[in-house]
Amino acid sequence: MRQLILVRYGEIYLKGLNRPYFIRTLVNRIKQAVRPFGGKVWLNDSRIFVSDMTDMEACMEKVRKVFGVHSLCPAIEMDKSDFNAVCEQAAEMMKDIRGTFKVDSRRSDKRYPMTSPEINMQLGGYVLSRCPDLKVDIHKPEYVMNVEIRDHAYLYVRVIEAVGGMPVGTGGKATLLLSGGIDSPVAGYCIAKRGVEISAVHFHSYPYTSERAKEKVLTLAKQLSEYCCGIKVYVVPFTEPQLQIHEKCPEEYGTLIMRRFMMRIAARIARNEGSKALITGESLGQVASQTIEALCCTDAVADMPVFRPLIGNDKIEIIRIAEKIGTYETSCEPYEDCCTVFTPRHPATHPKMDHVERAEACLDIEALVSAAVEGTEVIEL
Amino acid sequence: MQCYLDNSATTRPTEYVAEAVRKCMLEGFYNPSALYAPALTSEKQMAACREAIARELHADARNVIFTSGGTEADNLAILGSLSFFRGGRVLFSAGEHPAVRAACESVRNQFDVQEIPYDEKGVVDLNALRELLTPDTRLICVMQVNNETGAIMPLQEVAALRDQLAPEALLHVDGVQAFMRLPVDMRKMGIDSYALSGHKIHAPKGIGALVTGGRVKLAPRALSGGQEKTLRSGTENTPGIAGLMAAIESYPRENNMMQVKLHLYEQLKEIAGDKFFVNGPKPEEGAAHILNCSLVPVRSETMLYALEGDQVYVANGSACSSRKQKISTVLAAMNTPRKQAESAIRFSLSPYTTMEEIDYALSCIRRHYDMFKRYERR
Repeated sequence: MRQLILVRYGEIYLKGLNRPYFIRTLVNRIKQAVRPFGGKVWLNDSRIFVSDMTDMEACMEKVRKVFGVHSLCPAIEMDKSDFNAVCEQAAEMMKDIRGTFKVDSRRSDKRYPMTSPEINMQLGGYVLSRCPDLKVDIHKPEYVMNVEIRDHAYLYVRVIEAVGGMPVGTGGKATLLLSGGIDSPVAGYCIAKRGVEISAVHFHSYPYTSERAKEKVLTLAKQLSEYCCGIKVYVVPFTEPQLQIHEKCPEEYGTLIMRRFMMRIAARIARNEGSKALITGESLGQVASQTIEALCCTDAVADMPVFRPLIGNDKIEIIRIAEKIGTYETSCEPYEDCCTVFTPRHPATHPKMDHVERAEACLDIEALVSAAVEGTEVIEL
Repeated sequence: MQCYLDNSATTRPTEYVAEAVRKCMLEGFYNPSALYAPALTSEKQMAACREAIARELHADARNVIFTSGGTEADNLAILGSLSFFRGGRVLFSAGEHPAVRAACESVRNQFDVQEIPYDEKGVVDLNALRELLTPDTRLICVMQVNNETGAIMPLQEVAALRDQLAPEALLHVDGVQAFMRLPVDMRKMGIDSYALSGHKIHAPKGIGALVTGGRVKLAPRALSGGQEKTLRSGTENTPGIAGLMAAIESYPRENNMMQVKLHLYEQLKEIAGDKFFVNGPKPEEGAAHILNCSLVPVRSETMLYALEGDQVYVANGSACSSRKQKISTVLAAMNTPRKQAESAIRFSLSPYTTMEEIDYALSCIRRHYDMFKRYERR
């Protein structure tokens, strides 16, 4: 008899011939996640099992964050041949519980001498006789004693909901524009959840933004990396483009031209490292640079798809996800971001493409972009 | 070259202080409450430190209570003394440190808590204080030196007004930025309690004291074994106390801080010309170790981060509040114009700051100012 974690996957079931590829990737991601706890991970009969870990709870918390995992249960694995021992173990697991319960058994080993309804009845009866504080309710039970008869018997009560999604790496690679704000880490999370490997680009405008602001972004990236299985952060020196835009371009287009520079630089970094798309945390209408017209102007220079998973979300909805994934508190630290360094008093909210192009024509765009990309610092988390 | 100009946030302990702490940790580590002989040595060291503090403040050594620092001392003085009253007025000056402000704000539901305004130089407005003093005033909190501007408060005048209009009121002075740097005579000045902190005068962090006069009755905030005459229970921080003692003993009373500060002031004025503003009193009238000024239009943070790249460390106001991104309450209380407040930098010196360091800092400031003044933010 031993304790282990039983892991279930969700959407992968819908895959056809390439399902083994997704499952293999998921198993690898779980292996990566439990490595610090020395756990063993194996696949058996469309379930993934994790055993022999040093810290069960901490290990479950890690597995819970692996994209592709639908739910997990701390379970007991034991010999299925001695049914009395199985009943005894079930009663032991239920002994501190009060309320209503039922037994739900599944039997993938069809040679097992008892049918599922027989197991339900007999095991339920035994538990009931041993635990006077429990009552049976087969329609709306508060607790379910699950019994799975496979190569062994598996017993579990607690089912922990996991993050869902698809295993990271099965959906290609994209590059996130990561600021210190609330939105961009959430956007990165949303896309990574669909199986996409993420790298991040951060724009650093020293001395307008500080070492602490950079550290804050690295903390956010680190928090994201718990879900994304590691993340590479490109810190781009962005002071020079910002100063030139501020000095030479019309004030009302300042932010928009800055966003276009960010897109150009991020796209170039993305291409260099094999990413096929950019990700931003923009949400329609949130600020002047996030109107449809403004987004058209920034998209025009990206030359690859730009994913904006939060485009239709309200701020409050974004905050809720940020709280759930644990980035909200860090995002709220008050260090200035490069986006707010030279905010125009009256930014253009309905910019016209030709006006913007004319407004930035005075800049040596290629030189500024190349210099920024060349000066980039790479940090692997 | 490294140039540390943030001595009002904290100071670097001197070798002498560090050695005293080390010695106490390794050799004098005994619990002063223990009964065997070596513990007595620890107790004697504590007594010596109490004496030294009392001498410095013209107070009674029996009334020196060791705390973890300025914040705890302020909290104990304010909340500990007010717990004997029900109702009445509590006054604190507009630019008090959060240790005082937050403690006063926390009793708002029991007392009539009012703020004493500052004038445009950052000094307590005595006329306003006269209006605010009522016979039922329980406590007046006025710091001796403002931590952001270096303004020296007219404590004797405050005490005189108190004697005249609210003789029962206790006068609590936060002396964290003044202890050892300005003379204090608690008896003559009519101060009832005085808070000080070690790490602002080259002692380690985690040690401070509250010194009381004869009139103050305190209720303890930390309950346990009855140390510090039951007013502050918990095993005494003997290494901290040894460090504080060493810091007091070795503090260079004769120093050229004022000269260094005036040199800094003159040169900064030359760098920024008519865009240079002092936030607070005239430099020669303020405390010798603090100069708060603005080099408009370069924002404080920009200058601070640029200087950090040259290993020159300054503050944009008080380190305690720099995590809250808004204009400092002190500068707001002085009605400092917004642009000027946004550029405010606090230079704070120690007796060990040299002219060479200041000249190096000035050369860096000049370079950055000439560059960044071109990019004014709207």
